[in-house]
Amino acid sequence: MRDTMALVLSGGGGERLSVLTAERAVSAVPFGGKYRLIDFVLSNLSHSGAEHVGVITQHAPISLHDHIGAGRPWDLDRRHGGVLILQPFLTGASSGWYRGTADSIAQNWDAITDRRTARLLVLSGDQIYRMDYRALLDTHVEQRAAVTLGVTRVPPEQRRRFGMVTMDPDGRVRSLVEKPRSAATPFASTGIYLFETEVLGEWLRGNPVNLVLDVLRPMIEAGERLVAHEFDGYWDDVGAVGAYYRASLELVSREPRFMIDDQRWPILTRDEERPPVLLRDGAAVEDSLIANGSRVAGTVRRSVLFPGVTVEPGAEVVESVVMSDVVIARGARVDRAILDKYVRVGEGAVVGHGEVPEGPENEWLEGLTLVGKDAVIPPRARVGRAVVIGLGGGAQDFEDGEIAAGTVVPNRAWFGVAR
Amino acid sequence: MRTSGFAFILAGGMGSRLCLLGERRAKPAVPFAGKYRIIDFTLSNCVNSGIYDVGVLTQYRPTSLNRHIGTGRPWDLDRTHGGVQILQPALGAVERDWYKGTADAIYQNLIHLRRRRVEQVLVLSGDHVYTMDYNALYAFHHDRGATCTVAVTEVPEESVGSFGILETDGGGRVVGFQEKPRSARSRLASMGVYLFDREALIRWLTEDAAMAESSHDFGKDVLPRLVARGEKVFAFRFADYWQDVGTLDSYYEANLAFLGDRPPLELANPDWVIHTQSADRPPVRFERGGRVHRSLVANGCRIAGEVVRSVLSPGVHVEAGARIHDSIVMHDTVVGKDATLTRAIVDKLVHVAEGASVGGSEERTPNRACPEHLSSGLTVIGKGALLPAGVRIGPNARIGAYVTESEFSGNVPAGGVVDGPESMH
Repeated sequence: MRDTMALVLSGGGGERLSVLTAERAVSAVPFGGKYRLIDFVLSNLSHSGAEHVGVITQHAPISLHDHIGAGRPWDLDRRHGGVLILQPFLTGASSGWYRGTADSIAQNWDAITDRRTARLLVLSGDQIYRMDYRALLDTHVEQRAAVTLGVTRVPPEQRRRFGMVTMDPDGRVRSLVEKPRSAATPFASTGIYLFETEVLGEWLRGNPVNLVLDVLRPMIEAGERLVAHEFDGYWDDVGAVGAYYRASLELVSREPRFMIDDQRWPILTRDEERPPVLLRDGAAVEDSLIANGSRVAGTVRRSVLFPGVTVEPGAEVVESVVMSDVVIARGARVDRAILDKYVRVGEGAVVGHGEVPEGPENEWLEGLTLVGKDAVIPPRARVGRAVVIGLGGGAQDFEDGEIAAGTVVPNRAWFGVAR
Repeated sequence: MRTSGFAFILAGGMGSRLCLLGERRAKPAVPFAGKYRIIDFTLSNCVNSGIYDVGVLTQYRPTSLNRHIGTGRPWDLDRTHGGVQILQPALGAVERDWYKGTADAIYQNLIHLRRRRVEQVLVLSGDHVYTMDYNALYAFHHDRGATCTVAVTEVPEESVGSFGILETDGGGRVVGFQEKPRSARSRLASMGVYLFDREALIRWLTEDAAMAESSHDFGKDVLPRLVARGEKVFAFRFADYWQDVGTLDSYYEANLAFLGDRPPLELANPDWVIHTQSADRPPVRFERGGRVHRSLVANGCRIAGEVVRSVLSPGVHVEAGARIHDSIVMHDTVVGKDATLTRAIVDKLVHVAEGASVGGSEERTPNRACPEHLSSGLTVIGKGALLPAGVRIGPNARIGAYVTESEFSGNVPAGGVVDGPESMH
């Protein structure tokens, strides 16, 4: 890996994960009780012996930059190499904002080639998997490839979500079709690409925007040597609300396909110094992950609780994801919901109440209730299903103590103005 | 306001009254409240008080303390200027021998003051659980024009015999000092927290080093001598929680006090974080059938059994049907199916095999090997021990470190002892 620089694409954000990404990049979204999504890729890199890592950021990068810092948790704070944050910048010639994945690499080409590595490993910052990239590198070298694509098998009903790859028996890539209606090939592209630096440099001269559409597909058509490397471990792309929720609940299923606590390949993160979990009298906890600093006196089932969550007596949390420092007061109930940091659920309030509303406009939420950072649910209030409460929502957003199913409450700036 | 400070932390003690827990590690390295070591409280007090220049004096079994402190990262003590330094006895011009007492330990390390431009030197003990802003101590020291300030706390009358007891006049000046007296007029105990004027400390320790009759101990020799001849020694009264966890019973009680609704210290105080070496451990996994009440459970644990009024360090696995009551279980110990622990203190990396049971009867035969420290019904299991399936171990029993199945000849009665191989670490 010494001669490879990894580029983690972490610029995405905006609408993809609704309120969870209103103020943070997708890669910075908390996951698994104490991690952020980018930790999985950075841990893979660290365990694979990577020395050069660039993280390309654009949307709401503050929490991501804070989290990565100098790269210490992943031993990427190095004198030689180490981690580099690549945020858009202005020059006399360009407006600076990245127009797409290929453009984001092209704009940083000087900083990237400064590391003088023969290869570039392009990764996505919002996927959950454990992978030794050295195996991919071996395939790449053995096959004398210009580009090696990581691929994984997906069931037929999911093939519409991915770029599907067709190969020759020897692994040479014949076609790459983005989100086809149906596909005969079971192999989805994982968004893991290993390039010969020189070859990518040539293709970036044409001012491409998107790495798949404007670089990889034309490369295949032009007969460049693209090779596929099959990865057969757990791999999940969680860049949508439903996928994020299902991947979270998978962690607490009885026989998880992804063991977050596998110490043979630990997930490394910027740890917070918090005391052990305190279980008080009356606590009842099953099938859950709960991080240090939490205090539980109520019931928690099939849920993931991040550091510093308080569950007061008689409160109940079921099939939910609850992020850092949330307080769930006495007798409150949280059911099939995702609560972002610092949310306060008042006494006796219910989040995730009643029936799931019908209608295609609600489908993307899959019946889940999302509550943005810092929102306050008043005591005894009712929040219906498929509701999105924006950042900083509060009493003013409730009518007769209720937010009806299917409602979307806008974000408020931290000083209380709707936006 | 002070611009910099320097502290020596005395961390060489062997904690012999902690029985097995202190046998293979220095007392400051003994785990506490799940994820901490006792020294974390003192180290965190230093950095939270703005003291980023610390020397830790070790002597007895320093390995585990060395590993814990490392480069000082958790406390932000891995610094270019200052930071933390481990001061183990060495051979050389001034350092000639093992530390003979606490005062000798500092005397042998006076060289570290040579280039440090501090007017005062803080001398701390790494053995106590408390949170204290040392800035208040410095302010008091300046106000009174003291040459030496000793932090004191009030202790119950029956325990004066375990401490250095100070007598003060109305202005806080120390007029009497007795080390572990049978009885005393005062109940003010020294907390092992001293602030010295640098020049005075150098002078006094040099003088003490030359005295053949001295045992070179602050509490036994130096302080009583300074008080007797009228040096400006003042007592700084500290009213908050301070705990000397010197015995197995006090260690046990102090741990369990953190399970109450009003813990003696707020471990989650964001303005006074207790820093420690946290390994990257995942969140606690609670499995189906698990039941946990009134307990502290640290990251990396997996719970499928019952845990009541207990403290679990990182990485403890409690299998289905296992029951842990009123116990302290340290890092990476596995409690197998249907095994039970009652009033047990179980060190790191112990394997309790299926159906084994520890404690749980009302017998109170004191321990055969250390009756004076192990008689209240606790059972102590040493590091890395392997308890065979179905074995029954009575209260007040002591199972040595790294004991294996072959060292057991059936059940262990109350007060019993099973010793392990001595040479292993």
